[in-house]
Amino acid sequence: MLIDAGLKDVIGMEGGILAWKGLVASGPPEAGMAYFPQEERSEKLIALAWALEEGSRRFYAGVAGKTQDRDAVALFQGLVSAEEQHKSTLLKLFHEIAHDAYASKSPEALVPDRPAGEIMEGGMRVDEALAWTAGKNIADILDLSIALESNAFDLYMKMERAAGEEHSKQVFHALSEEERQHLNRMTLLIEKRA
Amino acid sequence: MDPQTFFKEIPSWTPDKIREFLGNKDHTSYNLVDVRQPAEYEQGHLPGARLIPLGDLSSRINELDRAKPTIVY
Repeated sequence: MLIDAGLKDVIGMEGGILAWKGLVASGPPEAGMAYFPQEERSEKLIALAWALEEGSRRFYAGVAGKTQDRDAVALFQGLVSAEEQHKSTLLKLFHEIAHDAYASKSPEALVPDRPAGEIMEGGMRVDEALAWTAGKNIADILDLSIALESNAFDLYMKMERAAGEEHSKQVFHALSEEERQHLNRMTLLIEKRA
Repeated sequence: MDPQTFFKEIPSWTPDKIREFLGNKDHTSYNLVDVRQPAEYEQGHLPGARLIPLGDLSSRINELDRAKPTIVY
């Protein structure tokens, strides 16, 4: 059907998803984004991303303070800085494109059901995730972090598709590439520990 | 549509080869399509995959860029 429809180079995966050993994201197709009205979709996407970045920042700050592994501490502290930078990028974009009604507000006001810092990508609550890490070894914490970053990577690619205007698409694209770099750094540390 | 009928018409790669292909490529340079049902997608999917269940493919085919390679699972 795909080939008949004119798509070129259509390729299936042997064994399907069950055979896949790579990164996996979870959650619904558009994570609620499809329900944002078109005329304010970009603002709401940015606000949602901003709130989730604060959740990730809190999580990494929390785990950085719980481990003695110097490489892991450096990685998590670097991620705290990266998430702060992402928040700044998103806040700047928000004020650049927000309609007048939103321009003076915090992004948080647009997604009242997602209080900043309480939830991370994938819908996981930060407090629950931090509680889970108590007593866990660094490999387990890195596994959870990879799941978190996979969801962030997934979300930004979806936001890029869903964003209504080009500048937002470009910012979401850049953020997705940075999340990919975070994943690469985590994978390298896991391989170093193996 | 029977999924087996759908997939036997197209070449397939091993997961390792697909992982290598996706590697560090810009995700806008290909289509990545999950043709399973929404509940299966929610449980786990390849990052960035677009959910288009088999039964919806014919009506949503225009969401895909015909000029780009398409990985489907």
